[in-house]
Amino acid sequence: MPTEKDYQISPVVQESIAHNSRTLFNYQSLTASLFGVCAGILGLESYAGFLFYIIATLSTCFLFYALRVAPTSIPAGKAPLDTSRYFRGAFEFWTSGLSGGLAGFILTWTLFYGLVRA
Amino acid sequence: MAQIPVQTIHRDPQLFYWILLPITIVMVLTGILRHYATVMLATAPKKLDQKTMREQRWLMHGINLRGNYHVLSKRSFNTRRDALTAAFESGAYLKNPENRGQAPPNPLSDPSAMDGMMGMMKNQMAMIIPNTLIMSWINAFFSGYVIMKLPFPLTIKFKSMLQAGVATRDMDPRWMSSISWYFLCIFGLQSVFNFLLGSDNAASQMAQQMNQMGSQGTPQMFGPGVDPDKQFRAEAENLAVIEHYSVLDDVETRLLEGIRA
Repeated sequence: MPTEKDYQISPVVQESIAHNSRTLFNYQSLTASLFGVCAGILGLESYAGFLFYIIATLSTCFLFYALRVAPTSIPAGKAPLDTSRYFRGAFEFWTSGLSGGLAGFILTWTLFYGLVRA
Repeated sequence: MAQIPVQTIHRDPQLFYWILLPITIVMVLTGILRHYATVMLATAPKKLDQKTMREQRWLMHGINLRGNYHVLSKRSFNTRRDALTAAFESGAYLKNPENRGQAPPNPLSDPSAMDGMMGMMKNQMAMIIPNTLIMSWINAFFSGYVIMKLPFPLTIKFKSMLQAGVATRDMDPRWMSSISWYFLCIFGLQSVFNFLLGSDNAASQMAQQMNQMGSQGTPQMFGPGVDPDKQFRAEAENLAVIEHYSVLDDVETRLLEGIRA
């Protein structure tokens, strides 16, 4: 756990962190809507749909990590799956998309389920 | 145990073209309209006169010094602190030095305070008017239709909310009427607006309410009704209690360790 002094020696720019989080949020809200379309077309119901959402969101998180974060953070000496080079908290990185995109997911899920199945 | 048969309702496919699609399009367009209305109604910040600007900038200077003292050496930090503390306590940078010690004016009688309130009023209006209009439009035209089925089961409590205007006792609460599609749109269209208008849009009222909740927690810094003299004194005290250290303290040992490793 880095102390306050470590942050002062190698500072983290707030604006860049905010920009990174916003990029991640945009990406996740867009993919959440698309997952809703998928779940609706597949005709998933209740638990299957939510499970699909959780798994799909986590895998997009992982893809985001593998394609955007890992190529520069692992050579910089960070452990694998450590996002602290670009993001504030690891927990926030892996789970923020779940709550942020849920409303969009339910909307498109209901819409396409209604159009295709019910 | 007997399997409960799944309720099926045969609905006219025209319901989709004449109810679902219009509501969705209207919601999206209202969001876009609200975004541009907010952009256009936003007033440019009023120009401050020199004295006010000086007061605010010196306060910011003190706050920045307090936040970033670790990049300064001990001597330069002490010089800055002494100068700032002396000036803050003597009130050299106040806008109205003769008003020291008096109670701040009533914020409601201050004309500059009215601008902020007008801005808030405009935002509220931009949210309330379209919502009321769309709600009454949907209630007038589309009440009583069952248009869709939710893909997940809900408890019976949701029945009165989702099936407003459909007085059927035995219907599964998963069936929803047009007004509940409207509510679903309110919550779920944020991602669509993110995609269409960029992430700092003003289209969704949910995001705006979140922002208002957040800003209520932090007190206004340069607002009306805040006594700048008191702010200066508090800042001088904050500066006085800082225990200074520099990031360059024992940098040579860190460098040597980095080389050895």
